Amino acid sequence: MTRTEIERLNEADRLIQEIVRDMGLDFMSQEFDVVPVEKMLEIMAYRLPVNFSHWSFGRDYESERTRHEHGFGAPYEVVFNSDPARAYLMDTNPFAVQVLVMAHVYAHNDFMKESRHFQRTRRDMISSASEAAARFREYERDYGIDAVERVIDAGMAIQWNVDPDEDLHQESEAAARDRIFGWAKPHAPRGAYEDLLPRPPEFPTDQKRELRKHTPPEPTVDLLGYLIEHSPRPLAEWEKDVLSVIKGQALYFMPYRRTKIMNEGWATYWHEKIMQRLFKERFLTTEEHGLYNLYNARVKAHNPRAVNPYLLGSALFESIEDRWNKGRFGRDYLEVENAEARERWDSGLMKGRQKLFEVRRTHMDWFFVDEFLDRGVVEDLNLYVYLEKERDNAFESVVEVTAWEKVKQYLVQSLMNWGIPRILVVDGNYKGSSQLYLKHVFEGLPLDEEYCRKTLGYIHELWSRPVYLETYEPYLHQLRAKLYVADEQSIHVHEE
Amino acid sequence: MAVVQPDYGSAPRGNTDAARHREKIKEAIRQNLPEIIGNEAIITRKENQIVRVPVRGVKSYHFIHNQGGAGGGFGSGEAQKGKVVATRPKTGSGQPGKPGGEPGVDYLETEIDLDELIGMMLDDLGLPNLQKKEIEETSTSEGWTYNSIEKTGIRPRLDKKRSIKEAIKRTEILVGLLAKETGRIEEDCRRALDMALGDYAQARLILDRTPAFPQGEARGGPALASSDLRYHAIEEEVRHLSNAVVIAMMDVSGSMDTMKKYFARSFFFWMLSFLRTIYKHVEIRFIAHTTEAKLVDEYEFFHKGESGGTQCYAAYDLAGELIDSEYPPSRWNIYPFHFSDGEDWDAEQSVLSLKAVLRRGVSAFGYGEIQTDYSASILMTAFERGLDMQEQRSDGYTYYSGQWSSTPLLGMIIRSRQDLYPALRVLLRTE
Repeated sequence: MTRTEIERLNEADRLIQEIVRDMGLDFMSQEFDVVPVEKMLEIMAYRLPVNFSHWSFGRDYESERTRHEHGFGAPYEVVFNSDPARAYLMDTNPFAVQVLVMAHVYAHNDFMKESRHFQRTRRDMISSASEAAARFREYERDYGIDAVERVIDAGMAIQWNVDPDEDLHQESEAAARDRIFGWAKPHAPRGAYEDLLPRPPEFPTDQKRELRKHTPPEPTVDLLGYLIEHSPRPLAEWEKDVLSVIKGQALYFMPYRRTKIMNEGWATYWHEKIMQRLFKERFLTTEEHGLYNLYNARVKAHNPRAVNPYLLGSALFESIEDRWNKGRFGRDYLEVENAEARERWDSGLMKGRQKLFEVRRTHMDWFFVDEFLDRGVVEDLNLYVYLEKERDNAFESVVEVTAWEKVKQYLVQSLMNWGIPRILVVDGNYKGSSQLYLKHVFEGLPLDEEYCRKTLGYIHELWSRPVYLETYEPYLHQLRAKLYVADEQSIHVHEE
Repeated sequence: MAVVQPDYGSAPRGNTDAARHREKIKEAIRQNLPEIIGNEAIITRKENQIVRVPVRGVKSYHFIHNQGGAGGGFGSGEAQKGKVVATRPKTGSGQPGKPGGEPGVDYLETEIDLDELIGMMLDDLGLPNLQKKEIEETSTSEGWTYNSIEKTGIRPRLDKKRSIKEAIKRTEILVGLLAKETGRIEEDCRRALDMALGDYAQARLILDRTPAFPQGEARGGPALASSDLRYHAIEEEVRHLSNAVVIAMMDVSGSMDTMKKYFARSFFFWMLSFLRTIYKHVEIRFIAHTTEAKLVDEYEFFHKGESGGTQCYAAYDLAGELIDSEYPPSRWNIYPFHFSDGEDWDAEQSVLSLKAVLRRGVSAFGYGEIQTDYSASILMTAFERGLDMQEQRSDGYTYYSGQWSSTPLLGMIIRSRQDLYPALRVLLRTE
């Protein structure tokens, strides 16, 4: 890229900042690196600019490259929640696309600065991952690539089995026991309603002794963290380091995972407004604006086999803005039964933008979709549920459900708990002999057996003692319990 | 400045880790070989040794929900209930793709060495991976040649250059030896050896008797002793030949649709790749036919369709002429292979013409019949009768085989892409 081109991008950067401030967005200082295609693909595959080596990243790299070379044609954007925020521009993109990405990135930046889900994540992840990569290389040298790979394989398998809000309620096991079993010292009433709060149950002394030994004191979703702390194997220091790095990165990416539709929707909603202004202010030529429109259409393209978060997210924000501008919410509106009257409803409230900023601060996808996805949006976008059906030598994706309430119900269900099955560590000393007892919280869908078996294999590798997993699955219109057991010999299943 | 272009040193981590992943997906490739050999990406790449193969990446396992059945998911865009929004071919193994945000379940293209792929296939077929030593060679005399040197011989074959070299070598060694033994300067030793006509004992005597040599010109060059003489050895020159030609014949009449040609194409490609591991030099010629036959290039062979009927003997006749004019069987291993959909207006004549080709001495003849539900299979029936080919079964795959004098004959029935691989198995086993 020539000096003049870089110069023009910097000019765009200054202009976008002005516009964005004017529009009421807030942002951390922002930096852009212009990088070659390969580096861009690598960042996307490795999730971070520099990260440790693992075959799965290599696989994703080839997958990204395949997608890129087959010209899916959507502009790539990567931005990291660091301070200053760092984003990447691909050097082969035409100018209009670079500006589009920059506008998009500033809205992400605002989101990361203001959304409450991003508030507690570490902002030094880029350098931290790079340092971890260097340490992992040393481990590879000292203990062999295969040994390191085994630990990474196992850690990655349960990377999402962590507690995304752990820093909100960090306490030691002893403190937790005190809280649960009422061994905490009596304290002054914390307000007038203290006596209405549940009281810790009373336990007889001998039972207390039992409970004191019980670990974890109460069931936890932080499976990975529990393994790091309590594995009876025991884990070597370097293994704990590897697993802790994986856990740290998972926690770092959790807010992205929880707000994918919102985050992309927010950025898309704003980049459209920003690009419009840039065109009006004649910073972009008509041709460049035309090219932008083409790429923007790709960004918001329908995907027959997936929900495009850019499309759904921006449509939801547009819908919220419209509804809150016209006052189309609350009892007065909802009680109007006449469709025509609803159609005409406009109380002139004009609180659209205000509502948008509020929602972006507080919500995550699960509640965002649950609260704001209405009939209008589902039908405008033609959202549907498809099923894979086997026919001759192929699998066909066949549209199955289009009724808006059903589509919404399934979509919310898929976003529940950000799509991760809840697995609780119930007992780390099961049968009094360091066996691990896990329990799947059944929330409507059973676990996939193949994936479950493999994952239990990894857990067993880290734990070394037998591992149990209790789960349920629908069977003859009922639920039946299912117990997986992973031990030295095999992974087997007991069905009720 | 907020926008900068930093210089990222080239540390291609992506590629190194991708290589590690590739090791892991070898297994997946092995399981999907039948799919992969039917894939165009390989067929259209000819010279390139590295091919890109679409494979399903190794899965990353973690706890996921089971959607039930073959899976499902969400989509958007114009669609009514019951509309098919996407179709994916089944893979040879495993489950259909899981929907949703599962990275890595998608197909990706990975790079693999074509030879390695063939190696994997041979492995899977239980065939030895053929090395050079097993190359089939035919040899012909090309006259006589000098290739080595011997110490005895007749005058006309004296190698003067080599003989003088030997003399120089010997002289230098003796001069060195004399200088060491007598302590005299090299120049004196050289003069003495020269005077003694190369005889070591004589030279020593001369040195002992002559404390100092007079200044003067030394005689030029070392003396040739009889032990220095070298003669050319005469040998018969033999040319080792390892040539094979595939005469690819195909019915290009209207009834051969794209899919059938696609099967034929992948088949020829793999046959060629395979023969290249056996022979040093492999050629392929293309004969396209309807009721008439003509030599065409590869592109035309696979891409052009013609209207008209089918008379297969036209192709066999042309193949015979081609063998006579360009591929004498004494120097070539000839593999005529023919693909059609079984249609033939004059099957009796085709059998006769084919026999004429076989009589010329070919290595094997193969016939692939790509059948559909409506195929008549006239030609295979004629071969069954006229060439006494027998129906065979192998792992559920039906084919025909026979022999005409000592030439192996093979008839393969291909009904779908799943039949390609067993057909290749049968072909390679016959080889």
